[in-house]
Amino acid sequence: MEKNEISSKIKSILISVLKHENFEMRDDLSAADVDGWDSLTHMIIITEIEECFGVKFKLKELNKLNNMINLLDLVAFKIEQK
Amino acid sequence: MQFLTDLEFSTNKYLHRDAFFINGLSYTYSDLSNSISKIRNSIRNEISATEFNIGVVANDDLETYASIFALWLEGKAYVPLSPEMPVERNENIISQAFLKTIIDSSSSPLFGTIKTIRSKECNSVTVDLHPIEITDESAVYILFTSGTTGQPKGVPISRKNLQGFVDAFHNMKIAVDENDRCLQMFELTFDLSVMSYLIPLLHGACVYTIPKDKIKFAYIFELMDEQRLTFALMVPSILHYLRPYFDEIHFPEMKYSLFCGEALPIDITIEWSKCLPNAIIHNVYGPTEDTIFCTSYVFQKEESNKSYNGILSIGKSMLGNKNVIIDEENNVLPFNQIGQLCLGGVQLTTGYWNNEDKNLESFFMIYDKGNQTRFYKTGDLCSMDNEGDLMYIGRLDTQIKIQGFRVELSEIEFHVKSFLDKISIVALAIKDAKGNTEIGLVIESQKIETEALLIYMKMKMPAYMIPKRIEFIEKFMLNSNGKTDRKRLALLFNES
Repeated sequence: MEKNEISSKIKSILISVLKHENFEMRDDLSAADVDGWDSLTHMIIITEIEECFGVKFKLKELNKLNNMINLLDLVAFKIEQK
Repeated sequence: MQFLTDLEFSTNKYLHRDAFFINGLSYTYSDLSNSISKIRNSIRNEISATEFNIGVVANDDLETYASIFALWLEGKAYVPLSPEMPVERNENIISQAFLKTIIDSSSSPLFGTIKTIRSKECNSVTVDLHPIEITDESAVYILFTSGTTGQPKGVPISRKNLQGFVDAFHNMKIAVDENDRCLQMFELTFDLSVMSYLIPLLHGACVYTIPKDKIKFAYIFELMDEQRLTFALMVPSILHYLRPYFDEIHFPEMKYSLFCGEALPIDITIEWSKCLPNAIIHNVYGPTEDTIFCTSYVFQKEESNKSYNGILSIGKSMLGNKNVIIDEENNVLPFNQIGQLCLGGVQLTTGYWNNEDKNLESFFMIYDKGNQTRFYKTGDLCSMDNEGDLMYIGRLDTQIKIQGFRVELSEIEFHVKSFLDKISIVALAIKDAKGNTEIGLVIESQKIETEALLIYMKMKMPAYMIPKRIEFIEKFMLNSNGKTDRKRLALLFNES
Protein backbone atom coordinates (compact mmCIF):
# COMPACT_ATOMS: atom_id res chain seq x y z
CA MET A 1 0.00 0.00 0.00
CA GLU A 2 1.25 3.48 -0.89
CA LYS A 3 2.07 5.93 1.89
CA ASN A 4 -0.48 8.35 0.44
CA GLU A 5 -3.20 5.80 0.72
CA ILE A 6 -2.23 4.93 4.30
CA SER A 7 -2.14 8.61 5.16
CA SER A 8 -5.59 9.31 3.77
CA LYS A 9 -7.08 6.31 5.59
CA ILE A 10 -5.53 7.43 8.87
CA LYS A 11 -6.86 10.91 8.26
CA SER A 12 -10.42 9.59 7.91
CA ILE A 13 -10.00 7.58 11.13
CA LEU A 14 -8.83 10.69 12.98
CA ILE A 15 -11.76 12.70 11.66
CA SER A 16 -14.27 10.03 12.61
CA VAL A 17 -12.87 9.53 16.14
CA LEU A 18 -12.07 13.16 16.99
CA LYS A 19 -15.10 14.53 15.15
CA HIS A 20 -13.25 17.48 13.63
CA GLU A 21 -10.81 18.25 10.82
CA ASN A 22 -8.77 20.97 12.46
CA PHE A 23 -5.41 19.39 11.78
CA GLU A 24 -3.05 18.99 8.89
CA MET A 25 -1.53 15.60 8.00
CA ARG A 26 2.07 16.82 8.19
CA ASP A 27 5.02 14.58 9.04
CA ASP A 28 5.67 16.14 12.45
CA LEU A 29 2.04 16.19 13.59
CA SER A 30 1.80 14.82 17.15
CA ALA A 31 -1.12 14.03 19.48
CA ALA A 32 -0.41 17.15 21.52
CA ASP A 33 -1.09 19.32 18.43
CA VAL A 34 -4.59 17.95 17.90
CA ASP A 35 -7.65 18.87 19.97
CA GLY A 36 -9.23 15.90 21.72
CA TRP A 37 -6.36 13.47 21.07
CA ASP A 38 -5.93 12.21 24.65
CA SER A 39 -5.36 8.82 26.36
CA LEU A 40 -8.87 7.67 25.63
CA THR A 41 -9.14 8.71 21.99
CA HIS A 42 -5.58 7.47 21.46
CA MET A 43 -6.66 3.94 22.35
CA ILE A 44 -9.66 4.21 20.02
CA ILE A 45 -7.56 5.59 17.17
CA ILE A 46 -5.00 2.81 17.56
CA THR A 47 -7.70 0.11 17.62
CA GLU A 48 -9.33 1.58 14.50
CA ILE A 49 -6.02 1.74 12.66
CA GLU A 50 -5.32 -1.88 13.60
CA GLU A 51 -8.69 -2.95 12.26
CA CYS A 52 -8.51 -0.85 9.12
CA PHE A 53 -5.13 -2.23 8.03
CA GLY A 54 -5.47 -5.68 9.60
CA VAL A 55 -2.34 -5.26 11.71
CA LYS A 56 -1.58 -5.52 15.43
CA PHE A 57 0.86 -3.16 17.14
CA LYS A 58 3.06 -3.99 20.06
CA LEU A 59 2.96 -1.66 23.06
CA LYS A 60 6.67 -1.02 22.59
CA GLU A 61 6.06 0.13 19.03
CA LEU A 62 3.22 2.43 20.10
CA ASN A 63 5.44 4.11 22.64
CA LYS A 64 7.93 5.07 19.97
CA LEU A 65 5.30 6.90 17.94
CA ASN A 66 6.10 10.56 18.37
CA ASN A 67 4.59 11.93 15.21
CA MET A 68 2.71 11.17 12.02
CA ILE A 69 5.68 10.09 9.94
CA ASN A 70 6.58 7.44 12.57
CA LEU A 71 3.00 6.21 12.51
CA LEU A 72 2.91 6.02 8.69
CA ASP A 73 6.24 4.17 8.64
CA LEU A 74 5.10 1.74 11.31
CA VAL A 75 1.83 0.97 9.53
CA ALA A 76 3.66 0.47 6.21
CA PHE A 77 6.18 -1.82 7.93
CA LYS A 78 3.42 -3.83 9.59
CA ILE A 79 1.54 -4.25 6.31
CA GLU A 80 4.71 -5.46 4.59
CA GLN A 81 5.29 -8.02 7.35
CA LYS A 82 1.86 -9.56 7.02
CA MET B 1 7.66 13.56 63.82
CA GLN B 2 9.42 10.34 62.96
CA PHE B 3 8.80 10.34 59.21
CA LEU B 4 10.35 13.81 58.86
CA THR B 5 13.40 12.77 60.88
CA ASP B 6 13.65 9.66 58.71
CA LEU B 7 13.47 11.80 55.60
CA GLU B 8 16.29 14.01 56.87
CA PHE B 9 18.33 10.91 57.62
CA SER B 10 17.79 9.18 54.26
CA THR B 11 18.45 12.39 52.34
CA ASN B 12 21.79 12.87 54.09
CA LYS B 13 22.71 9.24 53.72
CA TYR B 14 21.88 8.89 50.01
CA LEU B 15 22.94 12.38 48.82
CA HIS B 16 24.40 11.15 45.54
CA ARG B 17 21.74 8.64 44.64
CA ASP B 18 18.69 9.49 42.54
CA ALA B 19 15.58 10.66 44.36
CA PHE B 20 13.41 11.50 41.34
CA PHE B 21 13.16 10.67 37.67
CA ILE B 22 10.90 13.30 36.11
CA ASN B 23 10.26 13.67 32.39
CA GLY B 24 13.46 11.89 31.42
CA LEU B 25 15.74 13.68 33.92
CA SER B 26 17.20 12.32 37.17
CA TYR B 27 17.51 14.39 40.35
CA THR B 28 19.67 13.29 43.27
CA TYR B 29 18.83 13.52 46.96
CA SER B 30 21.29 16.38 47.04
CA ASP B 31 19.26 18.23 44.36
CA LEU B 32 16.13 17.53 46.36
CA SER B 33 17.58 18.76 49.65
CA ASN B 34 18.88 21.96 48.00
CA SER B 35 15.50 22.64 46.50
CA ILE B 36 13.68 21.95 49.79
CA SER B 37 16.05 24.24 51.70
CA LYS B 38 15.63 27.12 49.23
CA ILE B 39 11.86 26.94 49.29
CA ARG B 40 11.87 26.52 53.07
CA ASN B 41 13.87 29.70 53.41
CA SER B 42 11.32 31.61 51.32
CA ILE B 43 8.48 30.16 53.40
CA ARG B 44 10.21 31.41 56.55
CA ASN B 45 10.70 34.85 55.07
CA GLU B 46 7.33 35.29 53.43
CA ILE B 47 4.71 33.33 55.34
CA SER B 48 3.65 34.22 58.87
CA ALA B 49 3.99 31.64 61.64
CA THR B 50 0.22 31.62 62.12
CA GLU B 51 -0.61 30.78 58.51
CA PHE B 52 -0.87 26.99 58.24
CA ASN B 53 -2.61 26.02 55.01
CA ILE B 54 -0.57 26.79 51.93
CA GLY B 55 -1.57 26.10 48.34
CA VAL B 56 0.83 24.16 46.09
CA VAL B 57 0.32 24.13 42.34
CA ALA B 58 0.53 20.45 41.43
CA ASN B 59 3.07 20.45 38.60
CA ASP B 60 5.26 17.53 37.61
CA ASP B 61 8.66 18.82 38.70
CA LEU B 62 11.21 18.64 41.51
CA GLU B 63 10.18 22.01 43.01
CA THR B 64 6.58 20.89 43.50
CA TYR B 65 7.66 17.87 45.55
CA ALA B 66 10.30 19.94 47.37
CA SER B 67 7.58 22.48 48.29
CA ILE B 68 5.59 19.78 50.08
CA PHE B 69 8.59 18.77 52.21
CA ALA B 70 9.58 22.39 52.84
CA LEU B 71 6.08 23.09 54.17
CA TRP B 72 6.17 20.00 56.39
CA LEU B 73 9.55 20.96 57.86
CA GLU B 74 8.05 24.35 58.71
CA GLY B 75 5.01 22.73 60.37
CA LYS B 76 2.56 23.66 57.62
CA ALA B 77 0.05 21.77 55.50
CA TYR B 78 -0.20 21.72 51.72
CA VAL B 79 -3.38 22.03 49.71
CA PRO B 80 -2.72 20.82 46.15
CA LEU B 81 -4.25 22.88 43.34
CA SER B 82 -4.33 21.13 40.01
CA PRO B 83 -3.60 23.28 36.94
CA GLU B 84 -5.85 20.87 35.00
CA MET B 85 -8.90 21.53 37.19
CA PRO B 86 -11.47 24.19 36.30
CA VAL B 87 -10.56 27.63 37.69
CA GLU B 88 -13.83 27.75 39.58
CA ARG B 89 -13.09 24.56 41.49
CA ASN B 90 -9.63 25.80 42.48
CA GLU B 91 -11.10 29.13 43.58
CA ASN B 92 -13.63 27.28 45.70
CA ILE B 93 -10.81 25.32 47.39
CA ILE B 94 -8.70 28.48 47.89
CA SER B 95 -11.60 30.17 49.62
CA GLN B 96 -12.66 27.16 51.71
CA ALA B 97 -9.11 26.49 52.97
CA PHE B 98 -8.46 30.23 53.52
CA LEU B 99 -5.35 30.06 51.36
CA LYS B 100 -3.38 33.31 51.41
CA THR B 101 -0.17 32.04 49.85
CA ILE B 102 0.48 29.66 46.98
CA ILE B 103 3.75 28.01 46.04
CA ASP B 104 3.97 27.71 42.29
CA SER B 105 6.69 26.31 40.02
CA SER B 106 4.91 27.34 36.80
CA SER B 107 6.77 29.75 34.51
CA SER B 108 3.99 32.28 35.00
CA PRO B 109 1.99 32.17 38.24
CA LEU B 110 -1.34 30.43 37.90
CA PHE B 111 -3.21 32.49 40.48
CA GLY B 112 -2.32 36.11 39.78
CA THR B 113 -4.39 37.66 42.55
CA ILE B 114 -2.88 35.64 45.40
CA LYS B 115 0.55 36.02 46.96
CA THR B 116 2.76 33.47 45.22
CA ILE B 117 6.15 32.04 46.09
CA ARG B 118 7.84 31.20 42.80
CA SER B 119 9.55 27.96 43.78
CA LYS B 120 11.92 27.91 40.78
CA GLU B 121 13.23 31.36 41.70
CA CYS B 122 14.08 30.97 45.40
CA ASN B 123 17.61 31.93 46.45
CA SER B 124 20.23 29.35 47.32
CA VAL B 125 20.84 28.81 51.04
CA THR B 126 22.61 26.33 53.28
CA VAL B 127 20.85 23.00 53.45
CA ASP B 128 18.55 22.65 56.45
CA LEU B 129 16.28 19.64 56.65
CA HIS B 130 15.71 19.62 60.38
CA PRO B 131 11.97 19.80 61.15
CA ILE B 132 10.63 22.39 63.58
CA GLU B 133 8.76 21.10 66.63
CA ILE B 134 5.00 21.18 66.25
CA THR B 135 2.03 19.26 67.64
CA ASP B 136 1.19 15.90 66.08
CA GLU B 137 -2.37 17.08 65.61
CA SER B 138 -1.39 19.69 63.02
CA ALA B 139 -2.28 18.93 59.41
CA VAL B 140 0.16 17.74 56.73
CA TYR B 141 -2.28 18.12 53.88
CA ILE B 142 -5.88 18.90 53.11
CA LEU B 143 -7.31 17.18 50.05
CA PHE B 144 -10.61 18.22 48.56
CA THR B 145 -12.75 15.40 47.27
CA SER B 146 -15.91 15.82 45.28
CA GLY B 147 -18.96 16.28 47.47
CA THR B 148 -22.42 15.08 46.51
CA THR B 149 -23.73 18.65 46.67
CA GLY B 150 -21.15 19.80 44.12
CA GLN B 151 -19.20 21.64 46.81
CA PRO B 152 -15.76 19.97 47.25
CA LYS B 153 -15.21 18.74 50.82
CA GLY B 154 -11.85 19.05 52.53
CA VAL B 155 -10.21 16.12 54.31
CA PRO B 156 -7.41 17.26 56.64
CA ILE B 157 -4.81 14.62 57.47
CA SER B 158 -2.61 15.19 60.54
CA ARG B 159 1.01 14.33 61.22
CA LYS B 160 -0.22 11.64 63.56
CA ASN B 161 -2.46 10.16 60.84
CA LEU B 162 0.38 10.11 58.31
CA GLN B 163 2.86 8.65 60.81
CA GLY B 164 0.22 6.00 61.56
CA PHE B 165 0.08 5.17 57.86
CA VAL B 166 3.88 5.00 57.55
CA ASP B 167 4.07 2.63 60.56
CA ALA B 168 1.23 0.48 59.22
CA PHE B 169 2.88 0.37 55.77
CA HIS B 170 6.18 -0.77 57.24
CA ASN B 171 4.34 -3.45 59.17
CA MET B 172 3.14 -4.91 55.82
CA LYS B 173 6.67 -6.24 55.36
CA ILE B 174 7.16 -4.51 52.07
CA ALA B 175 10.90 -4.00 51.95
CA VAL B 176 11.75 -0.84 50.00
CA ASP B 177 15.41 0.15 49.98
CA GLU B 178 17.86 2.48 48.22
CA ASN B 179 18.02 0.20 45.18
CA ASP B 180 14.32 0.40 44.46
CA ARG B 181 12.71 2.24 41.56
CA CYS B 182 9.16 3.22 42.43
CA LEU B 183 6.25 4.44 40.32
CA GLN B 184 4.35 7.64 41.20
CA MET B 185 1.45 7.72 38.72
CA PHE B 186 -1.01 9.88 40.66
CA GLU B 187 -2.09 13.50 40.51
CA LEU B 188 -1.08 15.22 43.75
CA THR B 189 -4.76 15.92 44.39
CA PHE B 190 -5.25 12.15 44.90
CA ASP B 191 -3.83 10.81 48.17
CA LEU B 192 -2.34 7.66 46.63
CA SER B 193 0.35 10.09 45.43
CA VAL B 194 1.47 10.60 49.04
CA MET B 195 2.45 6.97 49.50
CA SER B 196 3.98 6.93 46.05
CA TYR B 197 6.48 9.73 46.76
CA LEU B 198 6.90 9.50 50.54
CA ILE B 199 7.65 5.81 51.16
CA PRO B 200 10.44 5.59 48.53
CA LEU B 201 12.09 8.79 49.79
CA LEU B 202 12.16 7.48 53.37
CA HIS B 203 14.37 4.62 52.14
CA GLY B 204 16.67 6.28 49.62
CA ALA B 205 14.76 4.85 46.64
CA CYS B 206 13.97 6.71 43.41
CA VAL B 207 10.49 8.03 42.47
CA TYR B 208 9.43 7.87 38.79
CA THR B 209 6.68 10.30 37.81
CA ILE B 210 4.50 10.51 34.70
CA PRO B 211 4.75 13.63 32.53
CA LYS B 212 1.32 15.18 32.13
CA ASP B 213 1.36 15.08 28.32
CA LYS B 214 2.01 11.33 28.12
CA ILE B 215 -0.48 8.53 27.58
CA LYS B 216 -0.46 7.19 31.13
CA PHE B 217 -0.67 3.41 30.75
CA ALA B 218 1.79 3.41 27.84
CA TYR B 219 4.30 5.51 29.79
CA ILE B 220 3.96 3.23 32.82
CA PHE B 221 4.82 0.31 30.56
CA GLU B 222 7.80 2.23 29.21
CA LEU B 223 9.07 3.00 32.74
CA MET B 224 8.64 -0.63 33.80
CA ASP B 225 10.40 -1.80 30.67
CA GLU B 226 13.24 0.71 30.28
CA GLN B 227 13.79 1.88 33.86
CA ARG B 228 13.08 -1.56 35.32
CA LEU B 229 10.76 -0.40 38.06
CA THR B 230 10.62 -2.57 41.16
CA PHE B 231 7.59 -1.13 42.96
CA ALA B 232 4.28 0.19 41.64
CA LEU B 233 1.02 1.29 43.23
CA MET B 234 -1.62 1.62 40.50
CA VAL B 235 -5.36 1.85 39.98
CA PRO B 236 -6.84 -1.31 38.41
CA SER B 237 -7.97 0.67 35.32
CA ILE B 238 -4.34 0.70 34.18
CA LEU B 239 -4.46 -3.10 33.92
CA HIS B 240 -7.57 -2.84 31.87
CA TYR B 241 -5.65 -0.70 29.33
CA LEU B 242 -2.54 -2.91 29.46
CA ARG B 243 -4.48 -6.16 29.12
CA PRO B 244 -4.37 -6.39 25.30
CA TYR B 245 -0.56 -6.28 25.58
CA PHE B 246 -0.02 -8.70 28.49
CA ASP B 247 1.78 -11.14 26.18
CA GLU B 248 4.53 -8.52 25.71
CA ILE B 249 4.87 -7.83 29.42
CA HIS B 250 7.47 -9.75 31.36
CA PHE B 251 9.07 -7.82 34.20
CA PRO B 252 10.96 -10.16 36.50
CA GLU B 253 12.47 -7.22 38.42
CA MET B 254 9.13 -6.00 39.75
CA LYS B 255 9.03 -6.84 43.46
CA TYR B 256 5.78 -5.29 44.61
CA SER B 257 2.66 -4.48 42.64
CA LEU B 258 -0.08 -2.77 44.67
CA PHE B 259 -3.61 -1.90 43.57
CA CYS B 260 -5.97 0.58 45.16
CA GLY B 261 -8.85 2.89 44.34
CA GLU B 262 -11.20 0.53 42.55
CA ALA B 263 -12.43 -3.05 42.76
CA LEU B 264 -9.70 -5.44 41.58
CA PRO B 265 -11.11 -8.30 39.45
CA ILE B 266 -9.50 -11.64 40.25
CA ASP B 267 -9.25 -12.85 36.62
CA ILE B 268 -7.16 -9.90 35.45
CA THR B 269 -4.99 -10.17 38.60
CA ILE B 270 -4.17 -13.79 37.77
CA GLU B 271 -3.13 -12.79 34.23
CA TRP B 272 -1.13 -9.81 35.55
CA SER B 273 0.70 -12.00 38.08
CA LYS B 274 2.09 -14.02 35.16
CA CYS B 275 3.60 -10.84 33.71
CA LEU B 276 5.45 -10.23 37.00
CA PRO B 277 6.84 -13.63 37.95
CA ASN B 278 8.69 -12.37 41.04
CA ALA B 279 6.29 -9.77 42.36
CA ILE B 280 4.09 -9.86 45.42
CA ILE B 281 0.69 -8.39 44.58
CA HIS B 282 -1.26 -6.53 47.26
CA ASN B 283 -4.84 -5.36 46.96
CA VAL B 284 -5.09 -2.39 49.31
CA TYR B 285 -8.12 -0.32 50.20
CA GLY B 286 -8.96 2.92 51.93
CA PRO B 287 -10.73 6.24 51.59
CA THR B 288 -8.94 9.61 51.77
CA GLU B 289 -10.56 10.04 55.21
CA ASP B 290 -8.50 7.13 56.57
CA THR B 291 -5.13 8.26 55.16
CA ILE B 292 -4.19 6.67 51.82
CA PHE B 293 -5.08 3.04 52.54
CA CYS B 294 -5.82 1.01 55.64
CA THR B 295 -6.56 -2.61 54.66
CA SER B 296 -4.48 -5.03 52.65
CA TYR B 297 -4.81 -8.45 51.03
CA VAL B 298 -1.88 -10.38 49.61
CA PHE B 299 -2.73 -12.15 46.35
CA GLN B 300 -1.81 -15.85 46.44
CA LYS B 301 -0.17 -17.05 43.25
CA GLU B 302 -0.28 -20.74 43.94
CA GLU B 303 -3.38 -21.07 46.06
CA SER B 304 -6.97 -19.98 45.76
CA ASN B 305 -7.84 -16.43 46.72
CA LYS B 306 -10.67 -14.94 48.69
CA SER B 307 -13.10 -13.10 46.48
CA TYR B 308 -16.72 -12.08 46.10
CA ASN B 309 -18.44 -11.76 42.74
CA GLY B 310 -15.05 -12.04 41.06
CA ILE B 311 -13.58 -9.15 43.07
CA LEU B 312 -10.47 -9.87 45.12
CA SER B 313 -10.78 -9.47 48.91
CA ILE B 314 -9.45 -6.21 50.37
CA GLY B 315 -8.03 -8.14 53.31
CA LYS B 316 -7.58 -7.10 56.90
CA SER B 317 -7.10 -3.80 58.69
CA MET B 318 -3.48 -2.66 58.77
CA LEU B 319 -1.62 -1.97 62.04
CA GLY B 320 -3.32 0.60 64.25
CA ASN B 321 -6.57 0.47 62.30
CA LYS B 322 -9.94 -1.03 63.16
CA ASN B 323 -13.02 -1.89 61.17
CA VAL B 324 -16.60 -2.96 61.79
CA ILE B 325 -19.52 -3.76 59.51
CA ILE B 326 -22.80 -2.12 60.51
CA ASP B 327 -26.44 -2.29 59.53
CA GLU B 328 -28.68 0.68 58.81
CA GLU B 329 -29.13 1.41 62.54
CA ASN B 330 -25.37 1.46 63.29
CA ASN B 331 -25.49 -2.01 64.92
CA VAL B 332 -22.32 -4.04 64.49
CA LEU B 333 -23.01 -7.10 62.34
CA PRO B 334 -21.56 -10.60 62.88
CA PHE B 335 -19.20 -12.37 60.44
CA ASN B 336 -20.30 -12.97 56.86
CA GLN B 337 -23.16 -10.50 56.91
CA ILE B 338 -23.24 -7.69 54.39
CA GLY B 339 -23.34 -4.14 55.67
CA GLN B 340 -21.56 -0.82 55.58
CA LEU B 341 -17.83 -0.88 56.29
CA CYS B 342 -16.73 1.58 59.00
CA LEU B 343 -13.16 2.47 59.81
CA GLY B 344 -11.45 3.74 62.93
CA GLY B 345 -7.99 4.02 64.43
CA VAL B 346 -4.80 5.99 64.12
CA GLN B 347 -5.17 6.96 60.44
CA LEU B 348 -8.69 8.39 60.73
CA THR B 349 -9.08 12.11 60.00
CA THR B 350 -10.45 14.27 62.80
CA GLY B 351 -13.25 15.26 60.45
CA TYR B 352 -14.09 17.22 57.33
CA TRP B 353 -12.74 20.72 57.10
CA ASN B 354 -15.33 23.17 58.48
CA ASN B 355 -18.25 20.91 57.70
CA GLU B 356 -20.09 20.03 60.90
CA ASP B 357 -23.18 18.66 59.10
CA LYS B 358 -21.15 16.20 57.10
CA ASN B 359 -19.18 15.20 60.20
CA LEU B 360 -22.35 14.35 62.12
CA GLU B 361 -23.48 12.28 59.18
CA SER B 362 -20.23 10.41 58.57
CA PHE B 363 -18.61 9.83 61.97
CA PHE B 364 -20.01 8.08 65.03
CA MET B 365 -18.90 6.41 68.27
CA ILE B 366 -19.03 2.76 69.18
CA TYR B 367 -18.96 1.93 72.89
CA ASP B 368 -17.54 -1.42 73.83
CA LYS B 369 -16.47 -2.61 77.29
CA GLY B 370 -16.15 0.91 78.62
CA ASN B 371 -14.07 2.11 75.64
CA GLN B 372 -15.30 4.35 72.92
CA THR B 373 -13.94 4.37 69.39
CA ARG B 374 -14.71 6.83 66.67
CA PHE B 375 -15.64 5.33 63.30
CA TYR B 376 -16.14 6.67 59.79
CA LYS B 377 -18.89 5.38 57.52
CA THR B 378 -17.23 4.60 54.20
CA GLY B 379 -20.35 4.17 52.08
CA ASP B 380 -18.82 0.86 50.94
CA LEU B 381 -20.64 -2.43 51.33
CA CYS B 382 -18.54 -5.27 52.67
CA SER B 383 -18.72 -8.47 54.62
CA MET B 384 -16.03 -9.91 56.88
CA ASP B 385 -15.24 -13.61 57.03
CA ASN B 386 -14.34 -15.34 60.28
CA GLU B 387 -10.62 -14.83 59.64
CA GLY B 388 -11.17 -11.07 59.51
CA ASP B 389 -10.76 -10.68 55.74
CA LEU B 390 -13.06 -8.14 54.14
CA MET B 391 -14.91 -8.83 50.90
CA TYR B 392 -15.67 -5.73 48.88
CA ILE B 393 -19.18 -5.83 47.50
CA GLY B 394 -19.86 -2.40 46.09
CA ARG B 395 -20.81 1.13 46.96
CA LEU B 396 -23.78 1.61 49.22
CA ASP B 397 -25.17 3.95 46.61
CA THR B 398 -24.81 1.33 43.87
CA GLN B 399 -26.95 -0.95 45.97
CA ILE B 400 -30.28 -0.09 44.51
CA LYS B 401 -33.83 -1.19 44.88
CA ILE B 402 -35.73 -2.43 41.84
CA GLN B 403 -39.39 -3.17 42.42
CA GLY B 404 -38.60 -3.36 46.12
CA PHE B 405 -35.81 -5.91 45.65
CA ARG B 406 -32.34 -5.03 46.82
CA VAL B 407 -29.92 -5.32 43.91
CA GLU B 408 -26.15 -5.16 43.98
CA LEU B 409 -24.76 -3.86 40.69
CA SER B 410 -21.46 -5.71 41.18
CA GLU B 411 -23.33 -9.01 41.10
CA ILE B 412 -24.81 -8.17 37.71
CA GLU B 413 -21.36 -7.13 36.51
CA PHE B 414 -19.93 -10.42 37.73
CA HIS B 415 -22.36 -12.52 35.70
CA VAL B 416 -22.03 -10.40 32.57
CA LYS B 417 -18.23 -10.57 32.80
CA SER B 418 -18.20 -14.32 33.15
CA PHE B 419 -20.15 -14.53 29.90
CA LEU B 420 -18.31 -11.83 27.92
CA ASP B 421 -14.76 -12.98 28.38
CA LYS B 422 -12.24 -10.12 28.66
CA ILE B 423 -14.69 -7.42 27.65
CA SER B 424 -15.13 -4.65 30.21
CA ILE B 425 -18.63 -3.78 31.29
CA VAL B 426 -20.32 -1.55 33.83
CA ALA B 427 -23.82 -1.93 35.29
CA LEU B 428 -25.52 1.29 36.32
CA ALA B 429 -28.71 2.44 37.98
CA ILE B 430 -30.62 4.63 35.55
CA LYS B 431 -34.07 6.16 35.48
CA ASP B 432 -36.72 5.21 32.96
CA ALA B 433 -39.10 7.76 31.42
CA LYS B 434 -41.39 7.49 34.45
CA GLY B 435 -38.55 8.07 36.91
CA ASN B 436 -38.35 4.45 38.06
CA THR B 437 -34.93 2.96 38.68
CA GLU B 438 -33.82 0.37 36.19
CA ILE B 439 -30.53 -1.21 35.25
CA GLY B 440 -28.42 -0.11 32.33
CA LEU B 441 -25.44 -2.03 31.04
CA VAL B 442 -22.53 -0.43 29.20
CA ILE B 443 -20.30 -2.75 27.20
CA GLU B 444 -16.86 -1.59 26.12
CA SER B 445 -17.00 -2.85 22.57
CA GLN B 446 -18.39 -2.14 19.17
CA LYS B 447 -22.01 -3.19 18.91
CA ILE B 448 -22.35 -6.94 19.40
CA GLU B 449 -25.27 -9.33 19.44
CA THR B 450 -26.60 -9.58 23.02
CA GLU B 451 -29.30 -12.22 22.69
CA ALA B 452 -27.13 -15.04 24.04
CA LEU B 453 -25.95 -12.79 26.89
CA LEU B 454 -29.56 -12.08 27.87
CA ILE B 455 -30.39 -15.78 27.86
CA TYR B 456 -27.33 -16.43 30.03
CA MET B 457 -28.25 -13.66 32.49
CA LYS B 458 -31.78 -15.01 32.78
CA MET B 459 -30.32 -18.37 33.80
CA LYS B 460 -28.22 -16.74 36.50
CA MET B 461 -30.34 -13.93 37.92
CA PRO B 462 -33.95 -13.09 38.70
CA ALA B 463 -35.83 -11.07 36.08
CA TYR B 464 -35.64 -7.78 38.01
CA MET B 465 -31.83 -7.91 37.85
CA ILE B 466 -31.60 -8.21 34.07
CA PRO B 467 -30.45 -4.92 32.50
CA LYS B 468 -33.29 -3.26 30.61
CA ARG B 469 -31.02 -1.21 28.36
CA ILE B 470 -27.63 -1.88 26.85
CA GLU B 471 -25.28 0.71 25.36
CA PHE B 472 -21.92 0.25 23.66
CA ILE B 473 -18.89 2.47 23.80
CA GLU B 474 -15.46 1.87 22.28
CA LYS B 475 -13.49 2.92 25.36
CA PHE B 476 -14.59 3.71 28.89
CA MET B 477 -13.89 7.25 30.02
CA LEU B 478 -11.66 7.69 33.06
CA ASN B 479 -12.00 10.44 35.63
CA SER B 480 -9.08 12.60 36.74
CA ASN B 481 -8.00 9.94 39.26
CA GLY B 482 -7.70 7.34 36.51
CA LYS B 483 -10.79 5.42 37.57
CA THR B 484 -13.64 4.37 35.28
CA ASP B 485 -15.99 7.34 35.15
CA ARG B 486 -19.36 5.75 35.96
CA LYS B 487 -21.15 9.09 36.05
CA ARG B 488 -20.18 9.92 32.48
CA LEU B 489 -21.07 6.41 31.34
CA ALA B 490 -24.53 6.86 32.86
CA LEU B 491 -25.05 9.86 30.57
CA LEU B 492 -25.06 7.48 27.58
CA PHE B 493 -28.57 6.50 28.61
CA ASN B 494 -29.79 10.08 28.56
CA GLU B 495 -28.73 10.55 24.99
CA SER B 496 -30.75 7.76 23.48
